[in-house]
Amino acid sequence: MEISNIWYFLSALTLLSALMVIMSKNPIHSVLYLVFTFFCISAHYVLLNAQFLMAVNIIVYAGAIMVLFLFVIMMFDLKKNIPESKSSLTKLAGSVVAGTLLVILIAIVRKNNIPAPLGDKFNSQTGMVENLGQVLYGEFLLPFELVSILFFVAMVGAVLLGKREAGERNF
Amino acid sequence: MTAIIALSLFGISNLFLGFWFPRKTIQLVTLLFLVVSMALTVSDWNHELLWFGNMFRTTNTSINFSLIIQLAAFFVVAFSKAFGQDDEHTHPAEYYAIMLFSVVGAILMVSFDHMIVLFVGLEILSVAMYVLTGSDKRNLRSNEAAIKYFLMGSFTTGFLLFGITLVYGATRSFYISNIGTILTTTAPESMPSFLFIGVLLIIVGLLFKVSAAPFHFWTPDVYEGAPTIFTMFMSTIVKTASFAALFQLVSGIFGSLYTVWVLPVYFISMLTLVVGNISAVYQQSVKRMLAFSSISHAGYLILTVSSKQISTTSSILYYSLSYTLATVVAFAVLILVSEYQSARVEKPENFSSFEGLAKNNPGLALCFSISMLSLAGIPLTAGFWGKFFIFSDTFSRNIIYPVILAILMSAVGIYYYFKGIIAVYLKAGEIEKIEVPTLFKMALWACTLGTIILGIYPSLVKSVF
Amino acid sequence: MELITTVFIAKAIIVGVVFAITLGVAAYSTYFERKIAAFMQDRIGPDRAGPFGILQPLADAVKMFMKEDFIPANSNKWLFIAGPCLSMLTALMTSAVVPFGDSVTIGGATFDLQGIDVNIGILWVFGIVSLGVYGIMIGGWASNNKFALLGAIRAASQNISYELAMGMAIITILMITGSLSTKEIVEVQQNGHWNIFYQPLGFIIFIICAFAECNRTPFDLPECETELIGGYHTEYSSMKLGFYLFAEYINMFISGAVMATLYFGGYDYPGVDFVTQQFGSNVASFVGVGALIGKSLGFVFVFMWVRWTIPRFRYDQLMNLGWTGLIPLAMYNVVVTGFGILVGKPFMVSIAGLVLLIAALFVYDQLLVKKKIA
Repeated sequence: MEISNIWYFLSALTLLSALMVIMSKNPIHSVLYLVFTFFCISAHYVLLNAQFLMAVNIIVYAGAIMVLFLFVIMMFDLKKNIPESKSSLTKLAGSVVAGTLLVILIAIVRKNNIPAPLGDKFNSQTGMVENLGQVLYGEFLLPFELVSILFFVAMVGAVLLGKREAGERNF
Repeated sequence: MTAIIALSLFGISNLFLGFWFPRKTIQLVTLLFLVVSMALTVSDWNHELLWFGNMFRTTNTSINFSLIIQLAAFFVVAFSKAFGQDDEHTHPAEYYAIMLFSVVGAILMVSFDHMIVLFVGLEILSVAMYVLTGSDKRNLRSNEAAIKYFLMGSFTTGFLLFGITLVYGATRSFYISNIGTILTTTAPESMPSFLFIGVLLIIVGLLFKVSAAPFHFWTPDVYEGAPTIFTMFMSTIVKTASFAALFQLVSGIFGSLYTVWVLPVYFISMLTLVVGNISAVYQQSVKRMLAFSSISHAGYLILTVSSKQISTTSSILYYSLSYTLATVVAFAVLILVSEYQSARVEKPENFSSFEGLAKNNPGLALCFSISMLSLAGIPLTAGFWGKFFIFSDTFSRNIIYPVILAILMSAVGIYYYFKGIIAVYLKAGEIEKIEVPTLFKMALWACTLGTIILGIYPSLVKSVF
Repeated sequence: MELITTVFIAKAIIVGVVFAITLGVAAYSTYFERKIAAFMQDRIGPDRAGPFGILQPLADAVKMFMKEDFIPANSNKWLFIAGPCLSMLTALMTSAVVPFGDSVTIGGATFDLQGIDVNIGILWVFGIVSLGVYGIMIGGWASNNKFALLGAIRAASQNISYELAMGMAIITILMITGSLSTKEIVEVQQNGHWNIFYQPLGFIIFIICAFAECNRTPFDLPECETELIGGYHTEYSSMKLGFYLFAEYINMFISGAVMATLYFGGYDYPGVDFVTQQFGSNVASFVGVGALIGKSLGFVFVFMWVRWTIPRFRYDQLMNLGWTGLIPLAMYNVVVTGFGILVGKPFMVSIAGLVLLIAALFVYDQLLVKKKIA
């Protein structure tokens, strides 16, 4: 069991489930495939020995955000009002744009001179909780604190938009 | 640097003040907060320093941009009279707090030295704007605008992030000073080719926020749907901050990759000029016209992007300041007139609502006309010198055809800006005396005077920048 | 290579034993639940199968398997089957990081009596618990039944709301032990320095959240039969229903074990040193395993005791308690704990904090009552 084989297997699984997210007809299936994609990404974190990120990824994305997604999608009856599918012209334009991007990316990968991975410089302890904490509260203190402002704005905004005003009619 | 800490704390304390103080007091306190933060910003003048583990850089340019942003925020707060009256905005403290937080985001965008700080700053600004756009909760158009802005905005944030990732993959650094060094010392041929895609994706992500032409489709709807006071906020602060970030990245660290982005950027600039100006001609609504005019002004600004000279920076600053002052006045008069007309006509934001404004409100009419003249770039107003500096600057770098197009397009601009002036002075209409609060009036005259003074003595400010 | 094989076999044995114990305890929990219910309601309870009805769980299992396995016509078949499986899976996975005992030395090799000792043990527990809701949600949605869907949605919102307070309660544990590893958390608590003395408020918050996460009374709104027939398992029958019920009992036992690990010293018991001196460390370890399981069973008893004592909450009460009661309390607890660590007297400060809180609530209550009267 070479570690690279596991990596290839996981990557294939990740891509496959990510594709299924956008290809499923049923939105609930999409969400479940997305959850599965998050698990695959967590497994990638394990391969890098970043256990903390693995756990946090599962807790935050699979455990909280996707549950809310499911929650909202289950509340809507999506079967009844599926939006009308786009005209064939829009579809064509979309495929052309996406296809061009794909071709460009493939071309780049083919003529790549991507630097070799720094195998010898890899520190297996990088992903440990303590090291992560040191980095977050040391080097990255400013972004770390700023993210709290970001969340605070989002929270205040959600309360502001969600609150029912006096005399407001119910839609 | 202390300004971002102070503004965050002010924002939080604003929320608490909302419990105890009446609306008027909160507005004054917010103005005071902004003055304090401007003073704190100025205190870093001439200290070129890196803060917080080399992630935040204060230079005189970034300080100037921060000051323009905070000045714009100051005027927006001063013009926000609706919070005091109608029952739609019953929580003024929250709105002011969100505005203060978004100013933090904007300041980060003009003085970042690390890609993550750019991203977080952009997100703080954007999330705040999504909320403020949708704040007119009972208005369906406002809701639609908020959703549209949110979906488009998060999508392009994805572009920006993808670009940052690719650039990181190629250079192994998030620090833009490091990236700049690596890019200048390495030959572009020996760099991985996905670097170029990364650079282009970052540029696209930021051009969206500036609302440049192929990425402008959200702008008219969002600007029209949002409450006018927040349209004012968006068209000044978001635009200035995003453009400052774009300028710093493109002309600063990606300068050595000139050949990669120069053609797309000029193409986008010309497209933006054409689309913005030609579409603005056909608008009946003043608000929508101003939206398209803001697109066209983005086009003028993008012309400057490829230059590294000191003089360019000062032209951009001058242009941003003159544009901010004029736009703020235009929107402020629009607020007053549309509020007056909302009970009388069906579409209070159209040109027709402005007809006959000069008869009983000569002051408002004068302010509005001067702002229109400045936006059109007529001499003796700030807008003229703004355009003049940018055109001469670009011309001096042997970029001929885009400048010629820009001059042609600014001639088109005169047509639709004068539509407003004609409606105000020459058309007959019934508008009674509009009651203007004292603070509102003071801010209005301050902006107008600023526009004229900048127009007569451009060197007064130009020497500072 | 040989060492790896030995470790692998040892781990396999440990996992198997843990699995067996968990299932056994869960099976007999159903019996004891009915016995305790009967005791509290002054009845006799099950007494037909075997002496004292001791074979009742077996009879129940046979009944479950023999019943018709029914899948509703318009349901989503695969997800309908996946629901109970997921519930069972997540219920069983949590026990992997619970340290059931100290290390045991057999033939010169030392084995930890624990499934896996990862350095993020407590996050593992938290992650698996947060996934537990998927089984219920998927099952409830796939049933294609409005009542089941309502139950599923209640479960989701309830779990998310209480996870926040639970996480905040765990944070204080991390603050005083300085590690995420369950093994280390237990080792810090050896010799009677149980966390319950330093974290009384945290424990109260945690146990309330554990009730909510297990969907036990008074938080069993997802299966509230007076409003929703059977809640998320309305459409389930046979062993699929059995899985759901079984998962609930497993969750109870495991959350008891987690609470014992976090707050009650894990496998610590009074007189460890004495037993070690008299009988050797291996025996002491096995007694420790017994102690842990005893503590967990104690918590299972508390779960049952509460179920037959306290009535079910109304939905808005549940949300109010979670968002406006427990989360602010948990934040207060974090601040108090931080202050305690700063001062260097965690025990004194935590007790003082609790007393202060009770006093404040009492005064507030008195003022409010007086206002109402006046």
